[in-house]
Amino acid sequence: MKLKKMLTVGAAVFGLGLFAAQAQAADKVKLEFWTMNLAPKFDPYFKQAVTKFNAANPTLEAVWVDMNWDQIQPKLIASLAAGNPPALVNFNVPWVHEFAAQGNIIALDQYLGADKAVYSTQALADVTIKGKVYAFPWYNSVSILAYNKSILDKAGVKPEQLTSFDNLLAAAKTINEKAGVDGFAPKMSDPVGLFYYLGLPVVENGKAVFNSPKHVAVVQKFADLYKAGAVPKDIFKMAFEQEIAAYNSGKIAMMTTAPQALKRTETDAKAIYDVTGVTAFPLDAGKMSFGAWMMDFVVPKGFKNPAEAAKLGKFLTGDEQQLLFSKATETTFPTTKKANLDPYFQAGANSKDPIEKARAVAAKAMDGARTLTLPPGTLTDEAATQKVLADNFQAAVEGRKPVKEALDAAVAAWNGKIAK
Amino acid sequence: MKNSSSYTTVAYLFLAPALILMGIFTFWPVGYNTYLAFHIYDIAEGTARVASAEDGGYFTHFKYIYGEDLFHQALKNSLLYLLVVPCIQLAALVMAKLVNNKLPGMTFFRATYYIPVITAISVAGVAWAFVYKFDGMLNGFLTWITHFVGIHSGFEKVEIDWIGNPDIALYSVMVFTFWKGLGYYMVLYLAGLQAIPAEVEEAAILDGANAWDRFWKITVPMVKPTILLCTLLSTIAAMKAFQEVIVLTKGQSDTYTALFYVYDQAFRNYNFGRAAAAGLVVTFFCMILAVIQFRFFGEKK
Repeated sequence: MKLKKMLTVGAAVFGLGLFAAQAQAADKVKLEFWTMNLAPKFDPYFKQAVTKFNAANPTLEAVWVDMNWDQIQPKLIASLAAGNPPALVNFNVPWVHEFAAQGNIIALDQYLGADKAVYSTQALADVTIKGKVYAFPWYNSVSILAYNKSILDKAGVKPEQLTSFDNLLAAAKTINEKAGVDGFAPKMSDPVGLFYYLGLPVVENGKAVFNSPKHVAVVQKFADLYKAGAVPKDIFKMAFEQEIAAYNSGKIAMMTTAPQALKRTETDAKAIYDVTGVTAFPLDAGKMSFGAWMMDFVVPKGFKNPAEAAKLGKFLTGDEQQLLFSKATETTFPTTKKANLDPYFQAGANSKDPIEKARAVAAKAMDGARTLTLPPGTLTDEAATQKVLADNFQAAVEGRKPVKEALDAAVAAWNGKIAK
Repeated sequence: MKNSSSYTTVAYLFLAPALILMGIFTFWPVGYNTYLAFHIYDIAEGTARVASAEDGGYFTHFKYIYGEDLFHQALKNSLLYLLVVPCIQLAALVMAKLVNNKLPGMTFFRATYYIPVITAISVAGVAWAFVYKFDGMLNGFLTWITHFVGIHSGFEKVEIDWIGNPDIALYSVMVFTFWKGLGYYMVLYLAGLQAIPAEVEEAAILDGANAWDRFWKITVPMVKPTILLCTLLSTIAAMKAFQEVIVLTKGQSDTYTALFYVYDQAFRNYNFGRAAAAGLVVTFFCMILAVIQFRFFGEKK
């Protein structure tokens, strides 16, 4: 009996509270923003951000909602159909292109105004479609080059030499000849990204063009490297984890990876960590930093207060908040120009500690961070075409097929499946 | 006394839990899959519309995969995968025969052979990737042997790229399937063997039949129903080879199977219609094979 009474009273109080809260919220503009896979690890950061924003904007109410990345699209589509989309949604770059093409997110130029100058040029370029900016650039990361000093010494390779991609390949060869260790194990799963990085076109005027003499020469370089044994024989089976493991066990001299990989070296292979040096991954003709994958915020079409949404977007992606967020993650980097020069990142520029140095090196490289992907919708059958290219690329590098023949075959397969 | 109709009702009630679950998770998906194969599915709207003339007609997805080299290759690999069926059946039957002996410690062997079956495929895949690796256990073992018999000397090594070389990768994956499935069929055969009355075998021994003859003339014919069941199950499993491939090679080195194509079309391209059509083709092949097997091993009336 007592319990029942308590429950009734509880429900009444709760209901009244809810009613009151709703009444109060009614005169505020609710700004819901969705992020992907950041709760509960970064709860304190978002709590801080929301409190601060709401205090500074008494008429607005930011509400943080985190979800798994694969729920974002279906939920957004459902909310668009129902006519009540959230204010901001955390997207990656390919999604921005996809949704902008569908017309389901709005261009932000009028809301950005002069604040455009806050963001790095390449970050804006990532989300600029037909001359219009469709997202607020948020956090990002790039690859750095970690090297084993003792192996490089043995081979007589100086880290200062690693200024271009060609030099990097040459160094790998020298290391293999003189030190008997594989030079490095670049990720081979994404030939398209590799071509972009080297400043080579992939699709032009509705035609696949990656069988030009220039492309052939690049792939030939990898084939030669593979034949010489300067990269691991099973390089096509190596991803993030395997590359770290190979580096930690001294099987490769250089590691081309995200800065956070060094944490694994520190804990798993202290002896290797102690002889590890860090330098920037060289820029090539594409003038793009390697290995970037930018996150951003978009404003869905149909949100009733786009100006207010943009206000929150600018707040979350501004210098101050981006810096705080990077400090919370310790492994991501801001996409604003000023934040990357903050002492937090640059204090380690001359540090002997590889992780601190890596942070400084990566932050400096953020200016060139482009997310290298084929614009979504270019191909009618992405899965099959990418597979044909990957298979032919592998066959060419492993010397099972002449390079030209392999690239020709892939181009032919692509040309039948490029969207008109 | 209950009449027959209430008897049927009770029977259905008992079947209901299983039927409802199967209806939701098996029959409905199969039916909807068939429906989708003739439709264009819009993932954004969550609706399917009939494939119109502009889309290429009712059979547009089938036409597409008919002309798709990658699917042909995948189907070829899946059919090649059937080679694992006779091997696994014979080995499982022989092994069941062996562990059917009443010797001390036999339970230990039965349990041991069953362990791969209950091991999660992802875990087993990681372990086997280490076995097959370029500098992995298998090559290490072979190197040791070749040094032992004197084929190699010094620092020479056996360097076979078991799951990287397109010529042998698919067979390496099949060996993994063989290892993983053996225990399962062994247990089924064991049950079949134990249903054979001991007298039959004793009589044969008295008549002077040797072990070879007894195996082929008594054991095999008497477990024929089990053979049918096991062959059917392993044929379907082989046609559906996908998990083995994704954990070991990710479809690289010519190990792309038909179901891998289905997966890629559905979850990388989000083209559910085409994926459904390709899935239907795989089902069609499974059914043909099942009919053939019933002809071979089924009871003749």
